[in-house]
Amino acid sequence: MSISLKQSISLSKKKFFRAPQWELKLAARIFIGFIVLYFLVVFLALGIGLFFIIREASPDQDPVSVVNLWIIYFFGIDFLMRYFIQNPPITDVKSLLLQPITKAQIIQRVMLRSLTSFFNFIPLIILIPFCVVVSVENGSTLSLWIWFFAILTLSVTSNYLIFLINKNKSIAIGTLIFLILGYLLETYFKIPVISFFSSGFEAIYTQPLWILVPLALFAFIWQLTQRFLKSQLYLDKGLGKKKERIIGSKLKFFDAWGTIGVLLKNDIRLIIRNIRARQVVLMGFMFLFYGLFFFTQQIYIERPVVLIFAGVFITGGFMTAYGQYVPAWDSEYYSFLMGQNLPYKEYLKSKLYLLMFSIVLCTFLSFPYLYFGKKVMLIILAAGLFNLGLGSLINLFSGAYNATPIKLNVKAKAFENTQAFNLTQLLFSLPKLVLPIIIFYLPYAFLGFNAGILGLVFSGILGLVFQNKILNWIERIYQTKKYETLASFNKSKI
Amino acid sequence: MISVHSLSKKYGGATVLDLQELNIPKGELFGLVGNNGAGKTTFFSLLLDLIESSSGTVSINEIDVQKSEAWKPFTSAFIDESYLIGYLTVEEYYHFIGSLRGETIEEVDLFVKAFEPFFNSEILNQKKYLRDFSKGNQKKAGIIGALIGHPEVVILDEPFANLDPTTQIRLKTLLKEEAQKHGTTFLISSHDLTHVTDVCERIVLLEKGVILKDIKTTPSTLKELEHYFSN
Repeated sequence: MSISLKQSISLSKKKFFRAPQWELKLAARIFIGFIVLYFLVVFLALGIGLFFIIREASPDQDPVSVVNLWIIYFFGIDFLMRYFIQNPPITDVKSLLLQPITKAQIIQRVMLRSLTSFFNFIPLIILIPFCVVVSVENGSTLSLWIWFFAILTLSVTSNYLIFLINKNKSIAIGTLIFLILGYLLETYFKIPVISFFSSGFEAIYTQPLWILVPLALFAFIWQLTQRFLKSQLYLDKGLGKKKERIIGSKLKFFDAWGTIGVLLKNDIRLIIRNIRARQVVLMGFMFLFYGLFFFTQQIYIERPVVLIFAGVFITGGFMTAYGQYVPAWDSEYYSFLMGQNLPYKEYLKSKLYLLMFSIVLCTFLSFPYLYFGKKVMLIILAAGLFNLGLGSLINLFSGAYNATPIKLNVKAKAFENTQAFNLTQLLFSLPKLVLPIIIFYLPYAFLGFNAGILGLVFSGILGLVFQNKILNWIERIYQTKKYETLASFNKSKI
Repeated sequence: MISVHSLSKKYGGATVLDLQELNIPKGELFGLVGNNGAGKTTFFSLLLDLIESSSGTVSINEIDVQKSEAWKPFTSAFIDESYLIGYLTVEEYYHFIGSLRGETIEEVDLFVKAFEPFFNSEILNQKKYLRDFSKGNQKKAGIIGALIGHPEVVILDEPFANLDPTTQIRLKTLLKEEAQKHGTTFLISSHDLTHVTDVCERIVLLEKGVILKDIKTTPSTLKELEHYFSN
């Protein structure tokens, strides 16, 4: 006997509708649905476009062979992404252990369910249109589709490999080093590392019998995963908690700062000791590279308004990623905090300082963008100042309306991240983006570039000057929202 | 120390708590008993200003908890594990509470070290995060955390649950000593009638949000309570 699909759906439905702020979550789901749809279209376009891009670039080569040259990078990056984001759904099976289901069935369920991960669909979405276009343009061949099948097989193998390496950091780092080293050796020293793999894929493409290699690999990994999972189905193995090393125990630097220092110390520990927080912070710092996307393209360089947008993201990446979940980061022990000898304002101030510190740090880290010219740097600095003065306060303000709790030590899943993500939050993120652009654009349109920059600088300084007043006002909103927030934070526990 | 005036809490149409008048003097070991849904936790949550009352007031030391935060410096509580910060070690957690209550790290260390018999070498210097402690040890850690900074009012929800027998007995002694030495007012809820009658000088029995009995503890109190709950 196993749980039927109907029961499973019914359970998921209950979980969804009985969660706090489920109406907002529904809206968020719909929104995320649109995002997924957007990515689908992008990948689809990529799949179709890929053929024509390749034909344009190297007209006398077989497009599939060109793809083969690069595909190992795709697998490498795919593997790393999976490592960071994908969570083998093994911890959910605890409740099934005592049910009248065999362990083999449980393992099968876990393994099949992991196939629904978004990553397994990426090759499908890109390669189906690509292969269709190739067949239409160059004629359909069996070898093409066998090649396609081989890639799918390897992608799924990678899916199970993640189970096996079981958060082994050195393997992930090794993969990264291999990719970089491989690239360098290949391009600068002509040592065939990457092309070794390329010729492997080429072999499958030209001599379909080679498909046996990925198939055998898949069968091997599948068996191994099965055996591995079986050994993990015990409370003191994969289902239990791993003992963690204590990190960040010395943060004496903050002791001189009084209450705010104590709270900041906690926030630092929160970030480094919890999976979810680490993930979000990492994502926030990824925004630092966002500028490369804009500054490298001439069409954008001539549009300062677009560059402002980039500047706001570069300097405020951490603020947006981490700050949007204030105060939800503390949701697990919010009642405790509210009963402590801790004025609300001090609490908010510590959060504000953390955000401000991150903006200063991100601005410093963005100095290499000076490479793209003084104008770009000026924009980043002005956007940073806006974030420092006003962006941080807007962020804190919007937090008062975000009452969806966060589970700290649990990974977020790709595109399932409705945890503490809601429409109100999204609406509040609009002024963070639109406001600096308006502040820049109005003086810019009438008085020119420098006036626009001055507008941003001035608004940032204004925010800093009136920070205390605005903070008082924000504190009052938090006070009135307190009971609602507490009720929502505590709801998830019951 | 604590006074309640016609305090009520309604959810939708249902009244979950309705206390007309309740006064708890300073230094009293006050016990709260009642079946699930009697309103014990609701009362504690109102006292700590974690939920809004539907009517009436509750004040600690003449301070209306809904109007001012001035009760916080001398009030503390341990209700459940959400009163712990899971990603901290016990020591870091104690230092955190201590610093909010104006104590130095050294003072806190000295203070909690005195509870080593109660901890039974299972709490301090463990090199693990609070979230990795067992339920019982989390409770031990939390109860002592609530005593840091010499609060005048300490609220403990089900302090005996999940503790091993030795620790339960030690906790009883500990609570009595603290109340005697420092004049701390303790509010304790419990399902364990034996323990609560052992520790508390006064016991209030709640049923569906209303006070049914308000007894000064005597040797016959346990019988009286057992009689009530067996019907």
